[in-house]
Amino acid sequence: MADTKTWARVKSPWVLHFNSGSCNGCDIEIVSLLTPKYDVERFGVKLEPSPRHADVLLVTGAVTKQCEERLKRVYDQMPQPKFVVAIGACACSGGVFNGCYNVVGGVDKVIPVTAYIPGCAPRPEALMDGVVKLLNALSPPKPKKQAKQEKLVEAPKEEVKPPDAPILEVPTTPILQDAKSIIEETKPDAKQ
Amino acid sequence: MPNSSIDIINVIESKLKDKVQIQKGQLSTAAITVSNGLHRDVIQAMVDADPYTAISAITGLDLGASLGVYYHVRTSNAFLTIKAEVPKENPKIQTITDITPSGVFHELEVSDLFGVAFEGNPLPGHFVLPETWPQGIYPLRKDVNANEVKLDPPLEEEKKPSEGKLVKIIIGPQHPALLEPEKFAVTVDGETVTKVEPRIGYVHRGIEKASESRTYLQDIYLVERICGICTTIHAADFCETVEKLLKAEVPQRAKYLRVIALELNRLHSHFLTLGHAGLEIGYETLFQYFWRDREPIMDLIELTSGSRVYPSIMTIGGVRRDLKDTDLPKIKTTLIELRKKLPFYRQVYENEPSLRARMKNVGILKREDALKLGVVGPVARGSGVDIDVRKDEPYEAYSEIPFKEIVYQDGDTWARMNVRMDEVEESINIIEYALDHLPAGPFRVKVPRVVPPGEAVNRVEAPRGELFCYIKSNGTAMPERVKVRTPTYANIPSFLKTAIGENIADVPPNFVSLDPCFSCTDR
Repeated sequence: MADTKTWARVKSPWVLHFNSGSCNGCDIEIVSLLTPKYDVERFGVKLEPSPRHADVLLVTGAVTKQCEERLKRVYDQMPQPKFVVAIGACACSGGVFNGCYNVVGGVDKVIPVTAYIPGCAPRPEALMDGVVKLLNALSPPKPKKQAKQEKLVEAPKEEVKPPDAPILEVPTTPILQDAKSIIEETKPDAKQ
Repeated sequence: MPNSSIDIINVIESKLKDKVQIQKGQLSTAAITVSNGLHRDVIQAMVDADPYTAISAITGLDLGASLGVYYHVRTSNAFLTIKAEVPKENPKIQTITDITPSGVFHELEVSDLFGVAFEGNPLPGHFVLPETWPQGIYPLRKDVNANEVKLDPPLEEEKKPSEGKLVKIIIGPQHPALLEPEKFAVTVDGETVTKVEPRIGYVHRGIEKASESRTYLQDIYLVERICGICTTIHAADFCETVEKLLKAEVPQRAKYLRVIALELNRLHSHFLTLGHAGLEIGYETLFQYFWRDREPIMDLIELTSGSRVYPSIMTIGGVRRDLKDTDLPKIKTTLIELRKKLPFYRQVYENEPSLRARMKNVGILKREDALKLGVVGPVARGSGVDIDVRKDEPYEAYSEIPFKEIVYQDGDTWARMNVRMDEVEESINIIEYALDHLPAGPFRVKVPRVVPPGEAVNRVEAPRGELFCYIKSNGTAMPERVKVRTPTYANIPSFLKTAIGENIADVPPNFVSLDPCFSCTDR
């Protein structure tokens, strides 16, 4: 059952976007992920409006003092297991607004963060890479199909990492490489 | 451009000759210094003489022993600054909201950040700062170290919001229709909206204060990050204001390159809004189409500057990067491809029945109200108010480039969106003209590092309307005060008016037709 849950979570993560005082740069890049050029729905990623249905919380912005309470509330409303991705330089550390009087400075000062995607603003490809890395960290690395048949007996069972682990190590898995090659193809420069 | 021959300074001189001190040519058209109380008479005289008179911004200033309250007023053909002062111990000044309602929000901001009490302003309480911000601490005053402020404990949850048969619906701060955290309490009677109470400040980061502790060059990148959509225009506005202080002249090629960067910015912003409006009315296909065609524009921004979201192309004295001749064919072909797609979109926006049903006659803003509330940009032009800073007070190379000013008379959501639809085509025309007539020469000049003491104002036309910047320099490496008034801040009052009496389901399309940008609004 646990495997099935993990499988479902990895194959179709529902993400919630929360703007905690961002400049819109990262937010617009998140929305452009849904549009035809990048189209993350092909990976099963769905932008979800309600925190109660979401698996992954994407937070942008340096967390203003007015938003702090609200961010905590949104996080508390999400069901376990839940993951937080800090998107952009502001969400990672406060960025250019670090030290401003109305800014807390970084999402990890308010709620635990699972993955960080730096950049101002991160490119859509970087966002995809970050989410894919997070998903790979959730599931045990799967061997390739052919390799699976050969190594079926030997392959040691790897434990599923506890979801609340702070920063997960990112294994380089075949899935990740596949995703990377897809990202490479979608890059406009790759065609030239 | 409003066709008017009113000499507003003559009007003021004839009415209040000996009482006020007029310095012509200072801060755009003129700076008028008044003693306490007379600012009302000056503004009253302007409102009586010119229907286009509106408060563009109110700047608060810490002048040491006193606080300055500068009213920046635009008329049909002039831009004036009325300087008033109040003592710091007892900062009280009479409101001007009964003369022109365009000043309500501007007064609130000054009272929140500087502690100036505007006697008679109908809306009390915190507006920009958090609700738990302690009383009596005003972060933009020079003697306040706002970083050490401890917030009060959080307030209790709002009580049962119903008032009799009226129901209060809270939209935000986290809401699927809003991409940004902002709260609107909409009171409804059945399905009819009776009242809208806005609560902004969720994105208030304190950029104006932060810019006082950074050098002018660093400030460009800070000001750019006020908003991730109209970023280039913020940087351009800041650079132009500093150039006015330095009395530096930008080379001709840089002016054209700036126009290209600004219009690319406008193109991507308008595509974003036109698509977002589709999303709000449940027409997701339109959203996907617009955002698909927005990507080539983003590629052009990346090609010309190096970054998708933050081009950082503006600098004091010109632009940071020249346009390569080898890039020109790519830009031109992309624009031609884009132009080919426009007839389809125009067809959708003008004739598509489901879109007309949701947008036509929704959120009607009459011309008189638009003038009174002082709205700017496509919201004003959709209501038949012909103001566009690119025509009224041409900056950069806009005086040399032919383009049409788009005005619709209907005043509804449909008209506001169609203004943007038409402006997309104009923007493409402008870029093509600028590329064809790109002058040779340097793309930037060296400017002195030290900015002489003084003050300057500047206005530019952002995708959302008139963007205003005021900078006061004290001769050091850092500015004394930077004030930015963004277009959405001026446009929100119109939404509060047009939403009343409408169906609750019409609130999202009406609201998105303002092209609201709250990171701009809050700064």
